[in-house]
Amino acid sequence: MTCGGRAPRDYSARIESNRLLGEKTGLLTVLCPAIAASAEPGQFVMVRPGGGDDPFLGRPLAVASVSHGTFTLGDELTVRGPIGQGFFSSREGLPLPEKVILAGGAVGAAPLLFALERLGGRAERTVMGVAGSGWEDFASWLMEVFPALELYSDDGTLGIKGTVLSGLPEELPGNTEVWACGPEGMLRALAAKYPSDGGRIRVALEARMACGMGGCLGCVIPTRSGQKRVCVDGPVFAASEVLWNEFPSR
Amino acid sequence: MNSRPADLSVSLGGLDLESPVIIASGVWPYESELWREDRLEGVGALCTKAVSLEARRGNDGMRVFETPCGMLNSIGLQNGGVRSFLKEYLPLVKGSNRPFLVNLVMESEGDVRANIALLRESSSSIPAIELNISCPNVDGDGMAWGMTPEGTAHATAIAREEWAGPLWVKLTPQAPDIAAVAKAAEQSGADALVCGNTWLGMAMDIRRKRPVFQRVVAGLSGPAVFPLALRTVWQAAGAVTIPVVGCGGIAGWEDGAAMILAGASALEIGSSLFTDFDLPRKITGGLRAWLAEEKEPSLAALVGRGRV
Repeated sequence: MTCGGRAPRDYSARIESNRLLGEKTGLLTVLCPAIAASAEPGQFVMVRPGGGDDPFLGRPLAVASVSHGTFTLGDELTVRGPIGQGFFSSREGLPLPEKVILAGGAVGAAPLLFALERLGGRAERTVMGVAGSGWEDFASWLMEVFPALELYSDDGTLGIKGTVLSGLPEELPGNTEVWACGPEGMLRALAAKYPSDGGRIRVALEARMACGMGGCLGCVIPTRSGQKRVCVDGPVFAASEVLWNEFPSR
Repeated sequence: MNSRPADLSVSLGGLDLESPVIIASGVWPYESELWREDRLEGVGALCTKAVSLEARRGNDGMRVFETPCGMLNSIGLQNGGVRSFLKEYLPLVKGSNRPFLVNLVMESEGDVRANIALLRESSSSIPAIELNISCPNVDGDGMAWGMTPEGTAHATAIAREEWAGPLWVKLTPQAPDIAAVAKAAEQSGADALVCGNTWLGMAMDIRRKRPVFQRVVAGLSGPAVFPLALRTVWQAAGAVTIPVVGCGGIAGWEDGAAMILAGASALEIGSSLFTDFDLPRKITGGLRAWLAEEKEPSLAALVGRGRV
């Protein structure tokens, strides 16, 4: 009952394109008008091949963008979604901040692209980080889709050497929020960087999960208001809500 | 009244179901939208998530892990306890307008008596209990209640003493002698048996060089276990006269049909709902078409027909 009355549904969908952005990274374009019409940034979908039992479970994939257009027939998928509380719905009435800094680690950039669209292209800054070597195609995509991208890489081969965090201000101005998605370590470090401003750090978490409907309880995390399911109670949380020190190691 | 092409209604263990498809425990979340009629097409009854006397936080560490054609889980019966269930979730469950079973965790004898006493106080609202005896007997040797005929009989008898309504006992497939535990539950007053629960397995994290799950073992479910579950249904149905419910890896109507032929009177589906909300409707549709093709008037007439 924390799902806000919008439980996901299952849809058959077709792959329109699959652009490889690295060895294990891709941008999948899927035709699914119902989800395109109702998804919001920060929400995700569970994607499965259309038939068969193996792989058995869906894969949680963030929605990077939605658009309306033509399609060509391709492989069929089952898509469950849209799932969860996104960057907007998770605010529970809290007004939008004046300024938003988008902070993404690797494929965590995906929901931030959608967020940027819904912010009307107005982000104070867009700071993204990748490992470096091997991420060239992904970095190219980032540069294509994010205007004014500030790119960091751990090994310095792409953009500036450093992490996303090194690109963020030491003090967060009062009118500004950080909307972030990336590896758990990055989000944890982000919360630690602004210990007294955690309410203005909105993190989209990833978790291993089976169902994407709030049923399996595989993705629960500890928060200040008890155990929460990443899938339907999140995946977007205020960093101050999450009990990072009690986070399960998975 | 609409005339149905084939009759899928079944009566078993004190419940009358319009469809033999039951949502197994631990699967369906208490999200109000999912308990509406349009999201429950084909569902004959639902089992609640596990209800223990006191709240349980569940297990730490990894909780779900995908396997070939299945998954392992180590959730640890996370729930808010029976008082929270009665107050927060029972109204939602009742709103489904279907029979339901409260899945009760067989804990210590004292806890389970107290748990049932609280359910009994609202007994007009609760159609049936499904007793989960896969949990350890903390008063005894720590082994799951359902591992032996003696433990099964003891657990069933306690619940039977406390609960006059329909009592279904969900067996553990880890029991070495399924027929013996099935008989023990029957003799101790069970109205129906659910065969069964998840199968103990494990996974190894080859990078960290340690088991994936903190408790090392975890419950395997999904299509991978279907042949195993079918076998236990066969064995249990051959040993008892009370109805048996097939549960384990059912992912389509053909699996359901096989369970019925092996002696199951109804079906519980679990993990496959994680991947397909529409499975109950697909199963009932498939079973109806099967009955029509076979010129069989009702599903009930096919229960155990495949037994040799």
